Amino acid sequence: MRSSLVRQILILAVLALVPAVGEAIYFRHKISWRSAILPSEMVTVDQARAWGENVIWVDARPDEEFARDHIPAALSLNEDRWNELLPQFLAAWSPGKKIVVYCSSLGCNASREVARRLRREAQLPDVFVLEGGWEGWLKTR
Amino acid sequence: MGGVAENEMSATPNAERPTPNAELRTAGSIPDFKGRTSKILWRTVDLVVAGIFIYAGAIKALDPVQFASDIDNYKILPWPISVALAFYLPWLEIFCGLALVFRRLYRGALSILTALVVIFLVATIAAKVRGLDITCGCFGHASQNWSFPTHLALDLALLAALSALCYCSTAKPPENA
Repeated sequence: MRSSLVRQILILAVLALVPAVGEAIYFRHKISWRSAILPSEMVTVDQARAWGENVIWVDARPDEEFARDHIPAALSLNEDRWNELLPQFLAAWSPGKKIVVYCSSLGCNASREVARRLRREAQLPDVFVLEGGWEGWLKTR
Repeated sequence: MGGVAENEMSATPNAERPTPNAELRTAGSIPDFKGRTSKILWRTVDLVVAGIFIYAGAIKALDPVQFASDIDNYKILPWPISVALAFYLPWLEIFCGLALVFRRLYRGALSILTALVVIFLVATIAAKVRGLDITCGCFGHASQNWSFPTHLALDLALLAALSALCYCSTAKPPENA
């Protein structure tokens, strides 16, 4: 009985593997196995600075952290107050501008999530995540 | 001729006496009804649980990038493993759900789904304890705004249903298992 259970589990596990591998091949250009963000969606502080006036900085950190300090001219847009802050952000945005989203550090998720929502929900192009986040900015200031 | 035979048969003592099997059938009619009702009930639970997992799996299989991000939010696994699981787990849920529907590899499917729900419950509670504000990603965008108690309630209900099905299948395995 136990061996039959193990056999059943193994069969199901192998069956699921087949479409999973197919899907992984299909999505190979849409997801990176090395980092949560595709290399093409990341930007370094130096690169973003080089874009000059053509950049809108977006601070995805919580309100308190934004109030404490932020990149000059950055707009606050976090997930806690998404519905409230998004219209303010869209009013400041204009076509052709590049959007650089940052959160606290390399390991934070907020910038990735905000960038994803800007691409998907607001349908905005040229949305990037700042490598190293706020900490990265402080190091190069 | 036939009429004579019928008369003879009806005149035999055995024709008047119900056979032991017929007695059993008559006496067993209420348990049979109960058995049928409980069979229908368990089959319904089977199908509901299967439907939930097939739906949850399909939604995640359609957007593995988002699901990888949801797994990564738990901060338990390295990113490459989150990606691998994002591709694999939805299909495992779908196949296990189908196994429950068609009653093939039934006990295997129940064991896998129970293990998945337990792991997910532990991960959710651990995330809560660590103060992580996460979306479980279990039902794609549909579950994005669910509160922690809602997640917990659904998981516990699923775990209870799966445990009951496991118990029933151990007591009387399905014909095709």
